[in-house]
Amino acid sequence: MTAEHPALALRGLAKQFDGKVAVAGVDLAVPAGSFYGLLGPNGAGKTTTLSMAVGLLRPDAGAAWVLGHDVWADPVGAKQLLGVMPDGVRLFDRLSGAELLAYHGLLRGMDPAVVDQRAAELLDVLALGDAGRTLVVDYSAGMKKKIGLACALLHGPRLLVLDEPFEAVDPVSAALIRDILQRYVIGGGTVVFSSHVMEVVERLCSHVAILAAGTIKRVGTLGEVRGDRSLEQVFVEVVGGRTATGEELAWLSR
Amino acid sequence: MAVAVSAPTTPAAPPRRVSARHFVRLKLRVMGNNFRGQGWRIALFVAGSLVGLWFAATGFVLFAAPGLSGEGRYALMVAAFGGGVTVLGWLLLPLVFFGVDETLDPARFALLPLPRRTLVTGLFTAALVSVPAVAVLLALLGLVVTAAALGGWSAALVAVVGVLAGLLLCVAAARAVTSAFATMLRSRRVRDLAAVLLALTAALLGPLQLVGVAALRETDWDRLSGVAEVVGWTPFGAPWTAGIDVAEGRVWAAPVKLLITALAIAALLAWWSRSLESAMVGAASAGPAPARRGATGASVAELFPRALGWVRRDRFGALVAREARYWWRDARRRANLITVAVVGIFVPVMVNLGGSGFTVGQGQGFSAPDTSSPVLVSVSMLFVGVLAAVTLANQFGFDGSAYAAHVVAGVPGQQELRARMTAFSIYVLPMLGVVSVVLAVVLGEPGWIGMMVGSLVATYGAGLAVNTFVSVLGAYSLPETSNPFALNSGAGVAKSFLTLLSMLISAVAAVPMVVAAALLGDVWLWLALPVGTAYGLGAALLGAYLAGDVLDRRQPELLATVTPRR
Ligand SMILES: Nc1ncnc2c1ncn2[C@@H]1O[C@H](COP(=O)(O)OP(=O)(O)O)[C@@H](O)[C@H]1O
Ligand SMILES: [Mg+2]
Repeated sequence: MTAEHPALALRGLAKQFDGKVAVAGVDLAVPAGSFYGLLGPNGAGKTTTLSMAVGLLRPDAGAAWVLGHDVWADPVGAKQLLGVMPDGVRLFDRLSGAELLAYHGLLRGMDPAVVDQRAAELLDVLALGDAGRTLVVDYSAGMKKKIGLACALLHGPRLLVLDEPFEAVDPVSAALIRDILQRYVIGGGTVVFSSHVMEVVERLCSHVAILAAGTIKRVGTLGEVRGDRSLEQVFVEVVGGRTATGEELAWLSR
Repeated sequence: MAVAVSAPTTPAAPPRRVSARHFVRLKLRVMGNNFRGQGWRIALFVAGSLVGLWFAATGFVLFAAPGLSGEGRYALMVAAFGGGVTVLGWLLLPLVFFGVDETLDPARFALLPLPRRTLVTGLFTAALVSVPAVAVLLALLGLVVTAAALGGWSAALVAVVGVLAGLLLCVAAARAVTSAFATMLRSRRVRDLAAVLLALTAALLGPLQLVGVAALRETDWDRLSGVAEVVGWTPFGAPWTAGIDVAEGRVWAAPVKLLITALAIAALLAWWSRSLESAMVGAASAGPAPARRGATGASVAELFPRALGWVRRDRFGALVAREARYWWRDARRRANLITVAVVGIFVPVMVNLGGSGFTVGQGQGFSAPDTSSPVLVSVSMLFVGVLAAVTLANQFGFDGSAYAAHVVAGVPGQQELRARMTAFSIYVLPMLGVVSVVLAVVLGEPGWIGMMVGSLVATYGAGLAVNTFVSVLGAYSLPETSNPFALNSGAGVAKSFLTLLSMLISAVAAVPMVVAAALLGDVWLWLALPVGTAYGLGAALLGAYLAGDVLDRRQPELLATVTPRR
């Protein structure tokens, strides 16, 4: 049944915080098997949109489907197929890496033996085995991203939703994460992730959506959105940023 | 004391002094912003303020009574004992129940180029702007009335100075003690020492009460006023009795007592200032973890503590195991747990020892005869059970945004709540057993153990049911600071109010046990254990069943309320 459904479909998602519009009606269809980049400047509404898409934040209006399961009407069906790494959210960080993975696995109703085997493999691949029994709270920022990714991958989801997976990650870890995600997509999975780093998006994504001020400004395959320019040029033009003229902040130079 | 901003390229703008005024304005602003668009918070704040005002008015009348009624001989006693209890309350209550309002978290100031002195005076002044401080000030101004009635305007003037100094002393004591204690709990090596310290402070309540009871029994006013005089020379009583001294003609005593108070304030502030430093530096990680190295590979086995070997390796088991680990590993939860343990053991012992002494001493003057002691025991058990259960009133707040993992995994609400109750009970039930045994031994009534355990379990279970609901509906976010006693911005009053309310409802839910103890007599000594256990278990399961439904429907809303706003 999932063949005819997009991996993630959003229709008219909208959210206000205290009367201030954060997301103003987002429609999106993420084809199964795609590597989808959600681009946008800080405060564009990426986190809000993705939170509503995965069931962490109740939308004011609109709906979201994961492989045909309505996230808000059939949460159990949708959440089984979904792996999520939220941004700005703590992990249960008073557990060690291994304990955290075991916890997530059992929460998902997995068999303990399978959890043990996959957790060991993930810790090994993500180079987190060395941390031993250090608590996650004492991990570095990059290690926290990696253990968060491992938690999202553990139960073998069909769709991965990652919020800013490359933020505050050193180049070596970033390359590792990229590698794992690419293998996941080749293996038939779908990845949706948000970012404001053009290079990563250009390198990885098959599809791109540019979000600014709570609405989708451009959407399509990477080629369609980019045209014959660089993605950065398109992004700056769409978002309408300003560049320093050299007149301001004169006091910065001696 | 100008702030030296090292900005070599801005000779035009001389750095302005930062004064306490800025801290107060900052605090008011943060409080105001916190209320924005949150009607229920405003309502709770108003309700809490009204309760505070009511207490203030009662206190005022009490403290003004000796002056208004012309009973001058009680003035010193009321001032020394009433004021002393007030100071003691400020010292202990933040540790035991309410925490301190950290609207202005010291860690946030770590990077600003502020001299420590500015910081301490600023934070101290800001701490004075709170409902409890205002309420205490209003109540103790009653002493000014007394002093004026007895000694005219000069005594009143000294009393005003004394009361103001006393208020400063109270606030400084609360800040210094919680801050120092928080620092201690942060470090694992001395956490046991911290537990002992808390035990000692709680134990202080005991001798004091016994002294009070003994004094009451003798009804010896001379001795009592002797004690009051002594208390008046300690920091507990000095600020409050200065005005009375002037009124009674001991003018020389007033400056000495004010000096004692000033020295105490200075010492407390110096102490606070020292622990403040470590609070600011150690803010990044709330619990330094020993990096024990060990082979991984059996992750599931690692998650489950050895004591939980019997728990099934499934979702429920994982929830129980993680919660059980968190009650010990999270400094904030650990502080709650230790407090419950210490207070849970000491208070019933003191109440029952002191209580029976009281009953004996007053003879027939006290309405309850000696045989009704099972009722008194039941009442103190009620207190312990309620106190233990109320620890869960904000159980989701402890998790903060980490709760998102449960939302994403779609954990069923009933299972989640049952698991949380189970994990907490792993710590609390043995403790309740210890409380019963200790109390039975101390009272020399081993036959009462069954009744004690029965009432404890019943109250605890009923309290769990109530607090489960409170935790789902009335959750609030806790600040991500290293201070386990910290409450979030400005709404401290509202939260204390919520805590009191849920304690009250839990107590009401458990009243049948006390009534049974009063009505059934000796039969109850045997019936209490099975009936109480069934009552408690049934209540807890029913609570989890009903609240679980609510939780299923409002998981995302709960996540939003426990996520600290940045
Ligand atoms: N819990 C919240 N309360 C109030 N405003 C919020 C909240 N979360 C996000 N916002 C606001 O919504 C807008 C979008 O935020 P967000 O989705 O986090 O952006 P992004 O992830 O693209 O940086 C921002 O203006 C932010 O200030
Ligand atoms: Mg974001």
